[in-house]
Amino acid sequence: MSGIISLNNITKEFKVLNRREGLKGSLRDLFSRDYKIVKAVDGITMEVQQGEIVGYLGPNGAGKSTTIKMMTGVLEPTSGELLVGGRVPYKNRSQNAQEIGVVFGQRSQLWWALPLVESFKLLKDIYQISDEQYDSMMKLYGSLVNIEELLHKPVRQMSLGQRTLSDILAAFLHDPKIVFLDEPTIGLDVSMKAKIRTLIQALNREKNTTVILTTHDMGDVDALCRRIVIIDKGKMLYDNDIEHLKGFFGSYRTLKIRVSGDMGKVASEIEKELPEFKVSSDEEWISVLVDEDKSKVLDVLSLLRHKHDIRDMQLEEISTEEVIKKIYEGGVE
Amino acid sequence: MKRKSLGFYIRIYFKILAQNLKSQMSYRADFIISTIGMIFTNIAGFVSFWILFTNFSEINGWGYYEMLFLYGFSLVAVTPVQCLFDNNWNLRRYAFSGDFIKYCFRPINLFFYYQSEIFDIKGLGQLAFGIGTIAYSWAKLGLECSILSILKMVVFLISASLVMIALQNAAAASCFWIENSFYILDFVTKLKDYAKYPVTIFSQVFRFIFTFLMPIAFIAYYPALVILRPEEPSVLSWLSPVVGIVMFFISYKIWMRGATRYNGTGS
Repeated sequence: MSGIISLNNITKEFKVLNRREGLKGSLRDLFSRDYKIVKAVDGITMEVQQGEIVGYLGPNGAGKSTTIKMMTGVLEPTSGELLVGGRVPYKNRSQNAQEIGVVFGQRSQLWWALPLVESFKLLKDIYQISDEQYDSMMKLYGSLVNIEELLHKPVRQMSLGQRTLSDILAAFLHDPKIVFLDEPTIGLDVSMKAKIRTLIQALNREKNTTVILTTHDMGDVDALCRRIVIIDKGKMLYDNDIEHLKGFFGSYRTLKIRVSGDMGKVASEIEKELPEFKVSSDEEWISVLVDEDKSKVLDVLSLLRHKHDIRDMQLEEISTEEVIKKIYEGGVE
Repeated sequence: MKRKSLGFYIRIYFKILAQNLKSQMSYRADFIISTIGMIFTNIAGFVSFWILFTNFSEINGWGYYEMLFLYGFSLVAVTPVQCLFDNNWNLRRYAFSGDFIKYCFRPINLFFYYQSEIFDIKGLGQLAFGIGTIAYSWAKLGLECSILSILKMVVFLISASLVMIALQNAAAASCFWIENSFYILDFVTKLKDYAKYPVTIFSQVFRFIFTFLMPIAFIAYYPALVILRPEEPSVLSWLSPVVGIVMFFISYKIWMRGATRYNGTGS
C-alpha cells in the first residue's frame, strides 16, 4: 500500500566550490571551476501513511531540512522518486502547497504587521477556504487554545511562543493532508512547549493530518511520535517505532549514586573499578551507565557499596535522548 | 485544482493591499516622516532641473517645456516600480538569511506573492507630482488634447513603466547568483536618473548603450516622443510597448529561475 508520502531512493546533491584559504585563494576562487559534489541526502526510502506523526531526527546538517524542502516542492531531488499526495512536488509546487502546511520554527510566515485574524482572512482567500470550513476550524481552534487573546494582536507584537502557536494554527487552517513542522518548539519555555505539543496532538487526532516533525527536543518526540526516522550525513539510520528503538538499548540502565566525601575523586575511582561502563558525574550524582547484559545493576551496586559510603541512589531507564545520542554516535548495529 | 484566474489574483492583491495600507498607517511617525522626505526629494529634483534651465534656454534643440514634459513622464513611469515592486529591495536580505523560503509554501504564483507583500504608498506623491508636471507642460506646449492622445499617453506610460520594472526585477534577482548584489540594484536605480533626458543629447556611444544595452531611453524618451513630437517618432518609439512587454517577461523569467534555483541556507 502506498502512503501519502513516498520516497524511493531519494538523493540530493549540491555542487560546492572548493574554497581556498587566504586572500590569494579567494582571488583564485573567482576563476575556479573546482567543484566538489556534496550528497546532502543519500538514498532515502520511506513511506508515510495518512494520519501518522513521524519524528524526523538527526544531528545538525544531517539533511533533514533538505528532505523537507524536497517534499514541499522547493527543491528538486537529484535522483529517485518522490510522491506527495500522489504528485511530484517539484513539478507541482503550487498544487502541492494547497495540500500541505509548513511551519519553520522562528520564521513566521504570517504578515508581520497584521493582526492574526487578518492574516487568517488572507489565507482563507489564498487557499480558497469555504466559509463553513473556516468557521468550523475557528470553532475547533477556540476549543483548543485561547484564540481570542491571539486574534487581534499584530504578529510583530507577539511573544515567540504566541507566534509559533499562531503559525501552527495558520498551517492547519486550510485542512492540509500533511503538515511539516521544523523545530516548532525551539527556544520556547517548558509550559509553552507543552501547550504546543498538546495542540499538535489534538489537531492530528481531530483532522487525521499527517505530521512530519523535525526536532532536537526529545520531549517533543516522546510526547508526539510513535514512529521515528533518524538520518545522519544524508543516510537513513533508523526507521521504526520508538518502542522498538528503546528495545535495542533496553538492557541499558543508569545507576545514580551519591556518596560522602569528594565526589569527583570517588567518580574517578569508580571509573577505574568499572572499566566496562561509562561513568560520569556532576555536583549531585555519579552516574554509571550499566549494560545489563554484562552485569546486573544490583551486582554493580553491591560492588560499589563495599568500597564507598553510598548515601543515596536512583535508577533510571535510558531516555530517548540517550538512545538517539547513541545512534548518532555509533549507529544501530 | 484548476489554474487560478487573473481575477483571483487581482482580488487577492487588493485584499492584501488594503491590509497593507492599514498597517502602514499604523506606523504614523514613520509614515509622516517618509512622506515629507519624498516631497523634499521631488522638490529638490525639480529645483535642480529648474536651475539647469535658467542657465540654458535649450539643450540640443530641446526647450524647457519639452524637457519638463520628459521629466514628468519619467516620474510617472517609475511610480509603479516604486509602489508595487518595492519588495525587490529586500530580496537580497531574504535570500541571504534563508527567509526567502517562506514565500515558497503558498499555492499561488511566487513572484506575485512576494511582490504583493509591500505596497509603498509614498510613490503616490511622486505620481501626483509627475502628473502635475505633465499636465502643466502639456498645456504650455499646446499639445493635442483628445481622448486618443490621452489613451496613447496611458499606453506608452505603461510600456515605459514595464521597462523600469524589468530592469529592477533583473537587478534584484541577481542576488540569487551573486552574494553582493546590492551594487547592481543600486546602479540600475541610479541609471534611471538619466532617463529623463532626451537620448540625443548624449554621445553616440551612450546613445547606443541607453537604447540597446541598458535601455533606459525606453523609460521616457522613446515612448514620450509619440506624444511630444508626433511628427518625428522613430520606429523605436512605436516599438516601446513591445519592448516593455518583452523585457518584463524576460525579467520575470529570470526572477523565477533564480527563485526556483535558490536552495536556501540550511536551517
